[in-house]
Amino acid sequence: MGVGRDAGTDSGAATRAAAAQALRGDDTKLMIVFSAITHDPAEVLAAAREAAPGVPVIGCSTHGEIAPGGPTDGTVTVAAIGGPGFTVSTAVGRRVSGRQREAGMEVARCVDEVDAPHKVLMLLTDGLIRDQESIVRGCYLALGAGVPLFGGAAADGWRMDAVYLMADGEVLGDAVVAVTIGSEAPLSVAVRHGWRKVGEPMMVTSAANGRVYTLDDRPALDVYLDRLGAPPEAYTDAAAFTEFALPRPLGVQRRSGVEARNLSTEVDIAGRSIGGGMALDHGGLTWAMTGDQESILAATDAACQDALDGLAGRQPVGLFTFSCAALRAVLNDAGIRRESEHLAKWAGDVPYAGFYTYGEIARSHGIDGFHNQTLAVLALA
Amino acid sequence: MADSSGSLDIAQLVELLATVSSFSDEATAAQGAVERSAQALEAEVAAVVSGGIVAASVGFRPGEVPERTLVDVALRRHDGIEVAGLGRCHTVTAPLGGDRAGHLVLARHRAPFSVEERNLVRGMARVLELTLTMLRTLSAEHDMRRRSETQAAENAALAASLRHRQRLLEHLFDIQRAITRRRPLQQVLDMVTVAARDMLDGDMVVLWLREAQDADQARIASSVGLPAEVYGLPAVRLADAGAAGHAMRTDSLVIAQGAALPPPLQDGPCAYLAAPVHEHGAVTGSLVVAAHHPDRSYGPADEQAVRAFAEQISLALNDRHTMDRIHEALHDGLTGLAGRKLFLETLEQRLSRAAAEGGSVALLYVDLDRFKDINDTLGHGAGDQVLMFTADRLKSHVRDGDVPARLGGDEFAVLLPDVNGPDEAIAVAARIVDALAVPMSVAQRRLLVNASIGIALSDPDGDEAERLVHRADLAMYEAKRNGRGRFELYVGAAVEVPGQPALGARPVPAS
Repeated sequence: MGVGRDAGTDSGAATRAAAAQALRGDDTKLMIVFSAITHDPAEVLAAAREAAPGVPVIGCSTHGEIAPGGPTDGTVTVAAIGGPGFTVSTAVGRRVSGRQREAGMEVARCVDEVDAPHKVLMLLTDGLIRDQESIVRGCYLALGAGVPLFGGAAADGWRMDAVYLMADGEVLGDAVVAVTIGSEAPLSVAVRHGWRKVGEPMMVTSAANGRVYTLDDRPALDVYLDRLGAPPEAYTDAAAFTEFALPRPLGVQRRSGVEARNLSTEVDIAGRSIGGGMALDHGGLTWAMTGDQESILAATDAACQDALDGLAGRQPVGLFTFSCAALRAVLNDAGIRRESEHLAKWAGDVPYAGFYTYGEIARSHGIDGFHNQTLAVLALA
Repeated sequence: MADSSGSLDIAQLVELLATVSSFSDEATAAQGAVERSAQALEAEVAAVVSGGIVAASVGFRPGEVPERTLVDVALRRHDGIEVAGLGRCHTVTAPLGGDRAGHLVLARHRAPFSVEERNLVRGMARVLELTLTMLRTLSAEHDMRRRSETQAAENAALAASLRHRQRLLEHLFDIQRAITRRRPLQQVLDMVTVAARDMLDGDMVVLWLREAQDADQARIASSVGLPAEVYGLPAVRLADAGAAGHAMRTDSLVIAQGAALPPPLQDGPCAYLAAPVHEHGAVTGSLVVAAHHPDRSYGPADEQAVRAFAEQISLALNDRHTMDRIHEALHDGLTGLAGRKLFLETLEQRLSRAAAEGGSVALLYVDLDRFKDINDTLGHGAGDQVLMFTADRLKSHVRDGDVPARLGGDEFAVLLPDVNGPDEAIAVAARIVDALAVPMSVAQRRLLVNASIGIALSDPDGDEAERLVHRADLAMYEAKRNGRGRFELYVGAAVEVPGQPALGARPVPAS
């Protein structure tokens, strides 16, 4: 695996430069492009395809790119996978909104085209589509427990306007891009977060359609803000709410720990309800969550260690590291530089690439695999 | 699992009920149920097996479902299952009752299923069974309606059955809502007994619960159709508790005629139906429905209903137990006040809110004077009583919204979340000093237990909990130094001198 990056503003030139750094030898099987929303996706895609004719190219827009040398905004970052041990197969699901589950089942079929002892299905989704977890569930229903899932939701630098995906020589929206990576050596998926719950739980007393209407029988917006001691403007201004809530997810207790739910992005000030990344279920308990730079970086270390431990003693040849866009609100610029230093420490001499996402995908046990406010890591050996 | 495993169970069951009851046909409800069950237990595989075939499953590729193995696991012919790509997985199975027998099966790779999880799976199977039976009845009704009107009588019977089941589901929804909203336990138990009588046409419904100290004894916890005096009766041995005792001792559903109640309450022979009630997997009681007419016969639908009601009681008991544990973890066991952890978390939150709004938070640090002497001379029992009296007086002399807490030993604190200046905090401190100056009757004595209180206000530009506690603590020591039984206000770090508290250019006279 090779990784390249270029910070130039000319989309075609930046992509060519990044691809030239990433490509090693003539046995490239797949190129994955993570490019800033400021780039022209058509030019990025065309340049990537020219750089390695015949090689499948997939990619997406980001809220920041991750690669050796630190996190960046505004670059084109390219990862190239190659060598005799790897085989790949890609698939695209189009017009995904409203049929997320079905689309997941469709793209998962590309797993059958790869014959290898170890496989992972990597997904890049449109981060502005609701109910992303159903795409992942569709993949699980089609594949069963034997194939781990990994991926991330494309981002647009918090514009919340339009993201783009790339595959099959097309720039796509409202789509899901899948690639099966088959390998002779083990592959390993891990995910971790750095949040902990505080105080007493709140009961979800009314929730439907991905929104939470009441907590403890009171309007959810007010209960959430009261509990966290929010400033007055967060009660009345949607942008102020989102800014306040981004680094303060809600927690849902699961068997093996607490999962974070980002409810910052779809607030209804008039209706006093909240919504966002993932739904909370009626009747469930939820906790206010807190985290800081140190706890998040500890999770960064744990995710990397888990992924590397999963390689059954084999040395890694590359890592994909998908971190949550919302974590940037907690970590700030200095924090994401530290995050990158931690990633670099775990990667050692091995290249790694990824981006800041609108949702991370990692399933290695159970049937759920869509996450908020986590770091997801795929290790290739 | 974490401390909230019981609540987690309740939430999972409510979520499952919400999921499966939103589907309009059996096949999709079964598929929804297997996915939700797998999710709840973090299992890779879940299946509904019915009539020797797999009716719904998740975790296998379509066309590669190992039907025969799943049926064998459901029937407990063997434990464990091989799952492609994972290897050997642990399994758990629970029967679906109702008019078409079947099983809910789950398999997980990473860890075996605990007793609590097996219990949860049993509850899930019950929820699923009720919903599937309901959907089957609805489907049958649609078929019937399409047939000729000559079958009107049959239709009427079917419609009655449908209404009956609808009512049962409504009762169960109401009860589960009451559990999840944490209505008082007694209220929930009474809801169940009233609903059970409504559904089962019993003359009486009695819930027995085992004594905490002696599991061989039980007493009546809720009933309908019996006089109120039954609650005052002493506990009876299980062997003497009739049908209820039988169900508890055998952990099974009991249907029979005879004595449904122990002799003092016996009112002639009855037909009865008794189902065991569980708490964290162990039999902890029994729900008995009885009819004075010995010829009353109870059929499968009645068995299903009484089991469902018994399950609701189990849920309520598990939930109460779990909430008690969560409360215990965050509150002081002796006084019931917030403990140090909860207090500091609340203080942090209030400080950050005050900083955002430019407001102030006040902290009163309350330390009992010469408490050690009471412990040393009168013993720890008397000391505990003093602490409880103190907590009660604190509670009754703070304002709505203030947070009293016990930080440990004889140290208490009160958080005043929204104060306009020191005067408000001083007024509360003065009330507390006055209230604690009233003698307490402890160990046949009247003890005068004063307290010294330090007051600190947060900086309107923002402050940290630790710093505020430290300042209030310094002010409290100044109050002790100035004669005890009084309060002092921390007024700034300007006079901080080594060996001297950073205080008090403006000591405020107590009361």
